[in-house]
Amino acid sequence: MFKSYFFLFFLFTSSVFSQEIVNLYTSRHYDSDIELYDKFEEKTGIKVNYVSGKGKALIQRIKSEGLNCPADIFITVDAGNLWRIQKDNLFQKIKSNKIKKILDSKYVDSNGNWIGLAKRYRVIVYNPEKIDSLRMSKINYEDLASDEFKNRIVIRSSSNIYNQSLLSSLIYHNGENYTKKWLLNFVGNFARKPQGNDRAQIMAVANGEADIAIVNHYYIGIMLSGKAGQKQRESALKVKVAFPNQQNRGTMVNVSGGGILKNSPNYKNAIKFLEFLLEEESQRHIVSNTYEYPIIDDLDPSPIIKKLGSNIVEDSLPVEVLGEMNPKAVKMMDVAGWR
Amino acid sequence: MGNRLGVLSISLFALLFSIPILIILLSLFNEYSENWFHIYNTVLSEYVLNSFILFFGVSVGVFILGVPTAWIVATSDFKFKKIISCALVLPFAVPPYIMAYSFTGLFDSYGTANELIRTAFDTADNYVFFPSIRNIGGAIIVFSLTLYPYIYLISYNAFLNQSRDIFDVSRTLGLSKIKTFFKIGIPITRPAIVAGLMIVAMETLSDFGAVEHFAVPTFTTGIFRAWFGLYDLTTAKQLAANLFIIFLVLIAIEKFSRRKINYINNSISNKNLTITKLKGKWESVAIAICLIPIIFGFLIPSSQLLYWTINYKLSFFDQNLLYTIFNSVYLALISGLFCIVIGTLINYLLRINKSKFLSLLNNIITSGYGIPGIVLSVGILNFFLFLDESLNVFLIGTVLGLIFAYSIKFYALPNSSIQSGLKKISVNLDDVTKTMGYNKIKLLLKVHVPLLRNSYLTGILIFMIDVIKELPMTLILRPFNFNTLSVSAYTYAADERMVEAAAPSIAIIMVCLIPIFFVFKSIKETTDE
Repeated sequence: MFKSYFFLFFLFTSSVFSQEIVNLYTSRHYDSDIELYDKFEEKTGIKVNYVSGKGKALIQRIKSEGLNCPADIFITVDAGNLWRIQKDNLFQKIKSNKIKKILDSKYVDSNGNWIGLAKRYRVIVYNPEKIDSLRMSKINYEDLASDEFKNRIVIRSSSNIYNQSLLSSLIYHNGENYTKKWLLNFVGNFARKPQGNDRAQIMAVANGEADIAIVNHYYIGIMLSGKAGQKQRESALKVKVAFPNQQNRGTMVNVSGGGILKNSPNYKNAIKFLEFLLEEESQRHIVSNTYEYPIIDDLDPSPIIKKLGSNIVEDSLPVEVLGEMNPKAVKMMDVAGWR
Repeated sequence: MGNRLGVLSISLFALLFSIPILIILLSLFNEYSENWFHIYNTVLSEYVLNSFILFFGVSVGVFILGVPTAWIVATSDFKFKKIISCALVLPFAVPPYIMAYSFTGLFDSYGTANELIRTAFDTADNYVFFPSIRNIGGAIIVFSLTLYPYIYLISYNAFLNQSRDIFDVSRTLGLSKIKTFFKIGIPITRPAIVAGLMIVAMETLSDFGAVEHFAVPTFTTGIFRAWFGLYDLTTAKQLAANLFIIFLVLIAIEKFSRRKINYINNSISNKNLTITKLKGKWESVAIAICLIPIIFGFLIPSSQLLYWTINYKLSFFDQNLLYTIFNSVYLALISGLFCIVIGTLINYLLRINKSKFLSLLNNIITSGYGIPGIVLSVGILNFFLFLDESLNVFLIGTVLGLIFAYSIKFYALPNSSIQSGLKKISVNLDDVTKTMGYNKIKLLLKVHVPLLRNSYLTGILIFMIDVIKELPMTLILRPFNFNTLSVSAYTYAADERMVEAAAPSIAIIMVCLIPIFFVFKSIKETTDE
């Protein structure tokens, strides 16, 4: 058994060496991404090998592998991880004029070390029977701490990276002291102890357990699509989505993005792959499956998502901030009793 | 002593296996950052309290579900016994976080169960019948239901291995069957049950997925928070090391507490237990008691999973699934057999040569079970950095690395069943064989190994099921394009797509059925002889 495995292993690796490849560590784990890898291979003949896993754990693997790290590209779903890996000096510059041309500079790291691939908004889901839609069109994240929403808010636990990012953005815009106070009042407005995932929050609002939930926008897309079952679709139809801070700095956005690792053995192929991911067809494939927003201009999100809102004013904070502020945000949450 | 070489080589081997764990432990000597103090000052007491309640609740839960059922199955005969005795292991095949998802899918205010009640009694749309289970009570129920099979298997095995004499004496003294259970059955299998509870505690306290889902922050929550939230891996390791030391102390206390008690049955009676044929009322009671955990731990959650699978993700069952199953099964089998061999050698050497050093190493590897998989994989990732960085290519992203990781993480399982099996083999037997001119190797191979047969079977069964369910280490250490069943389940569950994660979860359960079936068939054969 053991021997035959090793035989297979060498067979596998040797077949890999005879072909052009690009190796990927990714914390995106969608079937639709794998379809995209196949499309890339069809188009270029370069095979995409991948390992998917949790961002921080993958970073640890990259560090341990050191010079022997076989991965060319690291892709993650959270800008904090991109910041982290750059801080550890594990990325190298992405040299591509094509990417420079396609991508708005705000989605490219200032050192040119990583790029955004898709966008996620942290939005508010509400029950239109309980809260006036006009009111919600003017909502700010800051308002969520006011007495108006006493015992009406549901949100998942503070272990969730997207909540940590949201708080980081608030610290960046409003300062530590304001945010500390805000946080105490905000936690006081919870309708229940934080529990479940983003979907569970949407379901809670749909079922009248609370009036407001803070979630990532694409969950609404998946639920509305019916891919997650009729029950979730019906629930999603009962709620509405508001994009906060549209009158001022804009709604908080996080990016899923990636970069090329320092010891990348297939640099040229890695560039080709990143360029490929930014092509219109690939972007369309991504957004129509994951319900994220495209990172490139002039492309609409999936029709389901487009209905939620278009021309959204976007918080322009440098995404690195989300990484830098994260530990501070977590500590504040602990102190405020947000578990 | 000729066995000194044996002890030395096995100790070296065990030391090799302890290194990833020791790497985590060494973090205790690192500087304690402000993050450590932040956690200590703000949330740690809550984490510790929750962990303790969870530990206590789950221990009681698995005991209540596991021991009486094992007793009934081991000592009596009733209708459908064969199926029931196998089915009692099934809930173990459901990973705790999947069971948690499936239970909330049922019992949340908008869950299937509440909907059925609303339809059946035509109540208001927002009427909620079942109390919320997203709390520590819910977590205790879910862990008890998925982990009691450890206790069931271990005590079933322990009951089977008891000679009938002691029970016969009890019955002739006029004790009823129920009294015999409490006065003789439980005390005599105590070492096995306590060892089983240790394993349950380690599994419960190193879990993250289910407690996260139930909103119960435990010690593990702190570990994840330090690493993922505060970007502080050292503090995470230090927390894990603290948890580890608690387990090490618990193991020591457990050993110490039964230091003076010798449960070894010296009569070497090979007569099997008297099996009572249950009839009428008692038969129904026995079946009912055994059905409760099967219904709640298996039938209900798996029908929810099956419903989701059939409606949304039947396409998962294609030929790719065969590769995935193959990966899961052969990894589990190879590392399981490996651990059985190592566990036998270590415990046998400890029996004939009470090396303190080896015993300590054995306890260390055993306690490795209580380190959350994702932290343990950091130890493994750093393993060769100790010796030579270039060696890491053999361990990271290879099947060899996965086997190594599983062996370290789950060694506790075969170890505990081998230990309790060895304890039941009388030392007199060793002496007798010595006078017959058996050397130590012959004693092991011709006497102990055959007698340990049932221990091996239970050991490898729980080991394999746990490997098939294992997620965090597989995720991080696996080769490119390499999937196992639990990775497939995670792919969807991580993105909260439970209706799609149901299909691979059902596949996990079906694959686990195979070892369950084989093991029970084999255990049965020996008792029928």
